[in-house]
Amino acid sequence: MSITNKITVKRAEIAVAVILALCSIALMIKSSENRITWNAEENMGAGFLPFYLSLGMLICTILTIIKFVLKRSPQSKDDTPFIDAVAFKFIAVTIISLVVLVLAIGYLGIYFSLIFFLAFYLRYFSEKSIAFITIFAITTPILTFLFFEWMLKIPLPQGVSEPLFYPVYDFMYGGFSFAVKMIFIILTVLLPTALVFLTTRFIK
Amino acid sequence: METVGFLLDGIFTSLQWFNLALLIFGCLIGLFVGAMPGLGSVNGVAILIPITFIIPPTAAIIFLAAVYYGAMYGGAISSVMLGIPGASTAVATVFDGRPLAVKGEAMTALTAAAVGSFVGGTVSVILFTLFAPPLAEVALRFNAPETFALMVMAFATFVGLGGDDVPKTIFSILIGLALSTIGLDLITGKPRLIFFNIPGFLHGINFLVLAIGIYGIGEMLWTLEETKGKVQMSKLSVNMKEVGRAFGALKKTIMAMNIGSFLGFFVGILPAAGATPASLMSYGITKQLSKNSKEFGEGVPAGVVAPECANNSASTGSMLPMLTLGIPGSPTTAILLGGMILWGLTPGPLLFTQEPEFVWGLIGSLYIANFFTLVLNIALIPAFLMVLRIPFAILAPVIFVLCVTGGYAPTQSLHDVWLMLLFGFAGYILRKLDYPVAPAVLSIVLGPLAEKALRQSLILSDGSMGIFFDVSEKPIAAVIMYIAIVLLIMPAFGPLYRRLFKKKQTA
Repeated sequence: MSITNKITVKRAEIAVAVILALCSIALMIKSSENRITWNAEENMGAGFLPFYLSLGMLICTILTIIKFVLKRSPQSKDDTPFIDAVAFKFIAVTIISLVVLVLAIGYLGIYFSLIFFLAFYLRYFSEKSIAFITIFAITTPILTFLFFEWMLKIPLPQGVSEPLFYPVYDFMYGGFSFAVKMIFIILTVLLPTALVFLTTRFIK
Repeated sequence: METVGFLLDGIFTSLQWFNLALLIFGCLIGLFVGAMPGLGSVNGVAILIPITFIIPPTAAIIFLAAVYYGAMYGGAISSVMLGIPGASTAVATVFDGRPLAVKGEAMTALTAAAVGSFVGGTVSVILFTLFAPPLAEVALRFNAPETFALMVMAFATFVGLGGDDVPKTIFSILIGLALSTIGLDLITGKPRLIFFNIPGFLHGINFLVLAIGIYGIGEMLWTLEETKGKVQMSKLSVNMKEVGRAFGALKKTIMAMNIGSFLGFFVGILPAAGATPASLMSYGITKQLSKNSKEFGEGVPAGVVAPECANNSASTGSMLPMLTLGIPGSPTTAILLGGMILWGLTPGPLLFTQEPEFVWGLIGSLYIANFFTLVLNIALIPAFLMVLRIPFAILAPVIFVLCVTGGYAPTQSLHDVWLMLLFGFAGYILRKLDYPVAPAVLSIVLGPLAEKALRQSLILSDGSMGIFFDVSEKPIAAVIMYIAIVLLIMPAFGPLYRRLFKKKQTA
């Protein structure tokens, strides 16, 4: 029996309810670091609202658990797998690659991490050619850069790759005319595309 | 008469070239987002909101409202062509849209959907123009207690009318509210719920982190699981003759248009309801009242018109409480409302007097967006069909890129991106177990506003909760509070009522 068959909806329901109950208790404990009392004489303590909100959450999860025990919720009677094996592979790989992506962003910076993320993801899930994947994985970060850094003026994290971008910034904020900049933008998108296209042709 | 003047100003505002360009762009994105299975208006708006920070609020709201609007039109495209709703709001469109496509009348279904959307949108925006100013005027007299009571009612509608498991719904509301308390306490200034002393929590949890997590990452995971990256499309022949015939078939759908437009608008106003239940209700009622109700489900244009009319109408309706009361009428408007706060506006009736250009620009843009979306929708059907052929395995990473950049951009901290991933994953698991996620998004947006209103009210009343229930002192707040209580206890009477009713039937 595979893992995905063992995790039934029923088991997932109770496991999640228990985890949420524990989280609610943790929130209550955390809230009580501040004063949780409130009466007419003194103002509401900073912990009052979070404490009672998490108490409410705890009560709701307990009700969900009671409904489960009494078999009143549809999930409590559902023995089908929570997720089928094929979908599990999709979801697991997606989540792991996203976690690796965000880890990599912190170190490598977003643009280079995106190249690896896109290349891996497309190679793994789609049946596209290597040429397509390469073009796609390179142009998407370029477009992201142009959109965020140039149009919106929002700097995205660059990690260790930051020095590589200095010449680009010099160009962006240098005294070049709008037309020159536009030509540069078009070239930055087209050039890698053309290069990859030609290389794959050449290799074939 | 004053309204007409404001409306004309608003229409002119939305026709300024920059606004108009954004409007058309928004309509196109909306149509695209709506047409893609798994993505709806709420996903589009949540993912796109970070990019609106650099444009003026009026242009931003026009753009996002156009996305919202376009998505309501676009949802029908994949419902008809793929048999999978493009968004939850287009679920009911599948019932008759898909059979029509299977019969080879896909063009009739798509035209019916587009025209239905147009009629629903137009009727509702007229109703909106008529209702909004007087409602805003009434709302201007609201103080903190009334505002708090309204918010309690907004939460209560999820419990009373949401139709989901009650403890799970309340849990979702409470967790959204609890998350909104993270950060500095607004009265004492003390830090609250700073987990593991991570400084990132000090600035609180931005609603966008939760919204993008749930509606971006979570939704993508959900759709990846549902479709496993593969879809099957119907054939379609597009020519003017077909379009003409499709328009001919619309004569029989006038009743569906009426039901959809009016019902949709009023259901849309309710905070818990929004466009999805509106379209399902409209379909159900049209079917019941129709002379040929047996043909519904086998492919009748009225079955497409009714839900499509209602979802557009409801999307406009849900903006009414957002603008006049500062209470969102749907998850999408909850995100728009959060956006307004980020743009530096105070949602609520004061907008009508302080930011008339914003309010009327939005209302005017709805008229214009309605027209443009109809034209773009019918004209670009072949293009959207090409878009639908994009494999999900390619679309998904692009959406992930948008989510990660969108999650990072507002606060420029990776802390928020991690939280977004966490919320996305948690949202996906919870949604699979029938925990409604929309209440959490609504309550994280409303949480800080509700807390402020509650604490101001309590200062007014010297700490007595009686201020919310005293009919002689605060009649409006009290009445709203009592309605909220009725809504909260309503689900408890559901099983009792059913039991009594069943006994009667068997007796």
